[in-house]
Amino acid sequence: FVEERSGVGSVLREYGSEQNLLSKPDGSASFIQGDTSVLAGVYGPAEVKVSKEIYDRATLEVVIQPKVGMASVRERAREQCVRETCEAALLSTLHPRSSFTLVLQEVHDDGSLLSCCLNAACMALMDAGLPMGRLFCGVTCAIDAESQIITDPTAQQEKESRALMTFAIDSKDCSVMMSLTKGSFSVKELQQCIAVSQKASERIFQFYRDSVQRRYSKIL
Amino acid sequence: MDAVHSCFKDKLGQAVLPGDVFSFAVSAVEDSAVRAEKVICGPGLRRNGDEILVCKSGILRHKAPNLYWIDSQQKRYVPVKGESVIGIVTAKSGDIFKVDVGSSEQASLSYLAFEGATKRNRPNVQVGDLVYSQFIIANKDMEPELVCIDSCGRANGMGVFGADGLLFKVSLGLVRRLLVPQSEIVKDLEKIFPFEMVVGMNGRVWVKAKTVQQTLIVANLLDSCENMTAQQRQTLFKRVAEGSL
Amino acid sequence: MRETPLSNCERLFLLKAIEEKKRLDGRQAYDYRNIKITFGTDYGCCTVCLGKTRVLAQVSCELVPPKDSRPTEGIMFFNLELSSMASPGFQPSRKQSSELLVTLNRQLERCLRNSKCIDTESLCVVSGEKVWQIRVDVHVLNHDGNLMDAASIAAISALCHFRRPDVAIQGRDITVFSPEERDPVPLSIYHMPICVSFAFFQQGTYLLVDPCEKEELVMDGLLVIAMNKHREICSVQSSGGIMLLKDQVIRCSKIASVKVSEITELINKALENDRQVRKEGGKFGFAESIPKERITALKREQAPVEMKDIEETADEIVREAEAPSEAVHSPVIVATGTGQVGEGLQNTWGLEEEDAEEEFQGGMDGKEKKKGTVCVCVCVCVGCAGFTHETIVQLV
Repeated sequence: FVEERSGVGSVLREYGSEQNLLSKPDGSASFIQGDTSVLAGVYGPAEVKVSKEIYDRATLEVVIQPKVGMASVRERAREQCVRETCEAALLSTLHPRSSFTLVLQEVHDDGSLLSCCLNAACMALMDAGLPMGRLFCGVTCAIDAESQIITDPTAQQEKESRALMTFAIDSKDCSVMMSLTKGSFSVKELQQCIAVSQKASERIFQFYRDSVQRRYSKIL
Repeated sequence: MDAVHSCFKDKLGQAVLPGDVFSFAVSAVEDSAVRAEKVICGPGLRRNGDEILVCKSGILRHKAPNLYWIDSQQKRYVPVKGESVIGIVTAKSGDIFKVDVGSSEQASLSYLAFEGATKRNRPNVQVGDLVYSQFIIANKDMEPELVCIDSCGRANGMGVFGADGLLFKVSLGLVRRLLVPQSEIVKDLEKIFPFEMVVGMNGRVWVKAKTVQQTLIVANLLDSCENMTAQQRQTLFKRVAEGSL
Repeated sequence: MRETPLSNCERLFLLKAIEEKKRLDGRQAYDYRNIKITFGTDYGCCTVCLGKTRVLAQVSCELVPPKDSRPTEGIMFFNLELSSMASPGFQPSRKQSSELLVTLNRQLERCLRNSKCIDTESLCVVSGEKVWQIRVDVHVLNHDGNLMDAASIAAISALCHFRRPDVAIQGRDITVFSPEERDPVPLSIYHMPICVSFAFFQQGTYLLVDPCEKEELVMDGLLVIAMNKHREICSVQSSGGIMLLKDQVIRCSKIASVKVSEITELINKALENDRQVRKEGGKFGFAESIPKERITALKREQAPVEMKDIEETADEIVREAEAPSEAVHSPVIVATGTGQVGEGLQNTWGLEEEDAEEEFQGGMDGKEKKKGTVCVCVCVCVGCAGFTHETIVQLV
């Protein structure tokens, strides 16, 4: 793929998704951004252990499985980000004393892994039919050595960047639900990245809409 | 009247996503022609003050005069009062049976909730049996409860069943299509060979035909109906009917 | 989460159907489900779909010191994980599925390590110092029966697909070349062992190959034979406590040899396809394997992102934003060695300990007293004995 930079604008890599590809989970989706690929599975509303149940809302558990090795602190940090975003989007008060379990399996990591996880999570939650108040999507921005903003960076670009930011953008008012940043950057650069992410998120939400339209397009 | 329905109209039959809002601008002008109307929100729609929010992704559907709902595909069942489901008995404890209906909590079924059951005359229900029953209590705050009798005390088709026959799971959308009165799928299936079928709203279907082979054929056909249009289905059924004759 | 219990009616029907030689999905007794093998973008990544059972395998390598008992051999490490998405019964805490997990892991090890299908001597770089450790991670993504076969096919396909970096040794110096500098080298594989599972019903009277999940729930026992296409048996495992006759086992091994040669053929074809696509420079990887005709799948081409007005928008936001609240007050020094940042209750710690501190004054003079350190984390030890207090004072 070709990366365009400097003034003209950066690109979102080729992306695609498939829903309902696993037979056991209540909802499943695979999301691919360029070469990065994540598979998400959702169970819910299901039984919850008495020690973990919450009396007035559903308990959300998120598990991120890396491809090689055991899950470490980095996965736990990502799980926290995804969980906070999902809890803000789901209407968990409709299912008290139940559990929603979201499992994300990294299939290939070529940069922008957290935003790919967020997108796969949203599509899987939609596929499972869980009640949601809003949709969300993830966008990653990197600032390279020449202070150019690159969206959806590859692993190579991430390594060479001086700052890396991931935002979860919501569908209702395009506001930022969650942000995870690494590296040094100015306030102005941060705001610019947020503005770019919001623009990019519009495309992703249109993609969600097109997927749903296509899914229900057959007159059964 | 059109003010309300007009904001639904352009989205009818189209895909809507969670977060989409239908808001009704209630005009402050007092107009005798404007009457208060009721809009009934079905599954997938929630009221939030003056707005209606979409909370599931799917197609917006309408039934005259004022019922709107979201048609979505789902695998997991959530208990709703009054729906009939197929449950599997998992435990007998004291006076109640614990029944698994595929939801987040197991439902309870009292042994007195069978036709002709008294304290002395207990119904013959074993762990692992299938029961066709109705929800009498089903809301998010309480444990769901089932009964096998209707309000008059008669069984009305409910109770333990399924000595032979095959139980399998389908999606909730297919179950709703099967339960429509004059369902096309059922009519097409009947033409192939006779069979008995029990459909639970929790996505479980039980079928029994004369031989094991026929039962398996019916089960596999129903499974494949999930994503087929009417045309494809009829072609497939015709092929099977010719093959089995 | 709990698995849906199996009802009596399902169990009886399944057994009756098996007696009449009928299976749920219309297969014959010795038929396998449809096997689909796809490879990912990087070497060593493979997904296998056996019917609806889905398994992902990844091979990776690392340079490590060898085991003391075998200084000239490389190390193979196998890890099979039952992902929580594979089945509602697989919890992250892994307590319930631990028996299944241990069985699968053990069988995978026996099949691949004990059969010596990989030439471990070729993995040696510097004898006694550096060898390659090949790690195979298998993740079960969807459980619809027969995890063992799917896992073994995925593992051996991934191993055949994997390429390790090339190394050059000059005396004691080892240079590892990156994939751009020199083409990576495939592993040296002698043969491809594949597991074939047989499920027994009614005390060994009926036999089915490749049981699906429902069939696994009603079976009496399981026989797993690992074999390669040269008709060499690599391992045999029988579980469930059923008694098998000699000719039953021999019959199973004959069936297994037929199946294994078919599956090996399939793996080789998939590897060849992948090799072809990579050579021609076409697109490969999981992105390409998304089926385009299904209504549940959708793809979009690369799309540029609008960047026109972001500078102005960003500037505006920064301008209109409130100035950040005043900078944090500089730390208030309560007593030598303790400081307080932020607003809270008045800290009396330093005042109380003034008498105790005088004993330690002598030792402290030489050290630089670090002021302004937040002592919140240290408050926990206030009640400790004298020697621990000294440690705390040093920290602060």
